Amino acid sequence: MRLSRDFHGVDGGATMRSVHLLVPALLLLLAFPVSRGRYNDDFDDGEDIADFDDNDFAEFEDMNDDQAAEAETAPPPRASPSSQPEEEEEDEDEATVELEDGLDGFEDSEAQDQDMYSKYDQEEFEGIGDMEKGHSMKDPLIIHTVPAHLQNSWESYYMEILMVTGLLAYIMNYLIGKNKNSRLAQAWFNSHKELLESNFALVGDDGTSKEAVSTGKLNQENEHIYNLWCSGRVCCEGMLIQLKFLKRQDLLNVLARMMRPIGDQVQIKVTLNEDDMDTFVFAVGTKKVMAKLQKEMQDLSEFCGDKPKSGAKFGLPDSLSILSEMGEVTDGVMDNKMVHYITNNAEKIESIHFSDQFSGPKVMQEEGQPLKLPETKRTLLFTFNVPGMGNTSPKDMESLLPLMNMVIYSIDKVKKLRLNREGKMKADRNRARVEENFLKQTHAQRQEAAQTRREEKKRAEKERIMSEEDPERQRRLEEAAQRREQKKIEKKQMKMKQIKVKAM
Amino acid sequence: MMSFNNVSDPRRQNKILRYKAPSTETNPTLEDPTPDYMNLLGMIFSMCGLMLKWCAWIAVYCSFISFANSRSSEDTKQMMSSFMLSISAVVMSYLQNPQPMSPPW
Repeated sequence: MRLSRDFHGVDGGATMRSVHLLVPALLLLLAFPVSRGRYNDDFDDGEDIADFDDNDFAEFEDMNDDQAAEAETAPPPRASPSSQPEEEEEDEDEATVELEDGLDGFEDSEAQDQDMYSKYDQEEFEGIGDMEKGHSMKDPLIIHTVPAHLQNSWESYYMEILMVTGLLAYIMNYLIGKNKNSRLAQAWFNSHKELLESNFALVGDDGTSKEAVSTGKLNQENEHIYNLWCSGRVCCEGMLIQLKFLKRQDLLNVLARMMRPIGDQVQIKVTLNEDDMDTFVFAVGTKKVMAKLQKEMQDLSEFCGDKPKSGAKFGLPDSLSILSEMGEVTDGVMDNKMVHYITNNAEKIESIHFSDQFSGPKVMQEEGQPLKLPETKRTLLFTFNVPGMGNTSPKDMESLLPLMNMVIYSIDKVKKLRLNREGKMKADRNRARVEENFLKQTHAQRQEAAQTRREEKKRAEKERIMSEEDPERQRRLEEAAQRREQKKIEKKQMKMKQIKVKAM
Repeated sequence: MMSFNNVSDPRRQNKILRYKAPSTETNPTLEDPTPDYMNLLGMIFSMCGLMLKWCAWIAVYCSFISFANSRSSEDTKQMMSSFMLSISAVVMSYLQNPQPMSPPW
């Protein structure tokens, strides 16, 4: 009112119009804070009701006041139309009245409703309570959860995140493992390079280049296997060194090794000429490995039939055992220096195998295929275990250098080692025996194969005869077959007679 | 005439033999079958992955394992193709059904 008086004083007609506009605007402005306050109260009440009503409105707690307000206004007006006509009218009247007052009647309307019911005569309005219950039963609000893929949360994709994390871990392990193997290989090569280059004309060859030039580096076959071929020396054809590391680049393998620890291995295979080595078979190594090799290796199983002897008899540690073709060979190989080498490095030695009949492990024979005598090569095979049992460091690789010295010494030694006459005769007899046995075995197989071939032929012929349409031809073919059979039988009989005569 | 010398050079240029990679036909036991098996498994799981999501993920793992175990002489095209196949299986199964994967238990 003060405001309007002020304006009145300033101007004439124009101010009168502006006053008319301003007053309702001001009233509205004043009404809003009040109503908002009321909203808050109602909202608080709404919260209580939410708890009470088993979180029907709990979903909307975080949302806007307006929405909450809307939700709250929704049930009362919805509830009201479904009630009885008389009540309906009253409710609606009540509802409209309250709304006209400026939406500030939640508390009031509900309170008034309650009052209204209490005012009414219970007899007059039978079944109000039931109907009320009916409303709530008829109109349950079913809140569905938003489907996972429509939710904007990454948490529901936890399996995918796990998978990707696993893949990243695998990749990390691959890079780390590959690097470690590479470093170990390089450490080994750096420490052994000098010794090899002083002994071999060709150090490092992958077989692809035209000229026989030393590559001077390891040949990587895998992420865990490195090769080195050395050649050009007296007393041997060549030497293949294989660094067989653990599969550090494969996470599955790393996990498997946690259950069953194994170590890296270095395998050295020296191939020799006929002049470089006499005929003998010999092996020394850990007891377990010797037993395994005796079963698996073709030459050890054929020539070294006796059980492995304990190394203690020859001055070696008890953990090692010896397989030998004959005693003379053992005495010849196990000289002082060799014993010295082996004893000092016993924990690193898995097996040492010298053989002129080396052909690798026994190959499983396939049925129906006569096996040819396996090709043999004079070979010295050394298998060394890298210390560290998996937790190898470059220093461990360098500690293998004395073993390489032993290898070089062995090459020279084997060249000089010659069996005496008796030993040589024994060795030759052994080899002849093995060959004979082998031929016998294959002979039986070859006979079987020949028999089956003959039967096949007969069957094929019979079929041909049967399939001949012309009866004349059929008869003639049958006769020919019969005559052939007869001849064969006669031949056999003659042979049997001859044998009998000879036996007599 | 060779003087009796401890430090005689054992190297012989004329005795050089070229490196010959050991033939795998004669020694089938020496070959590691892991990369081939994993390759095959990866392809099978990729096919199944179009129906089941976890199959597609296992296919990706198989192709990774196959790659880690592969020989350097092996064809990279084969590796890449199996890898791409498994990745495409994962992508296709998610395009078809964007719902997150439910654990199989």
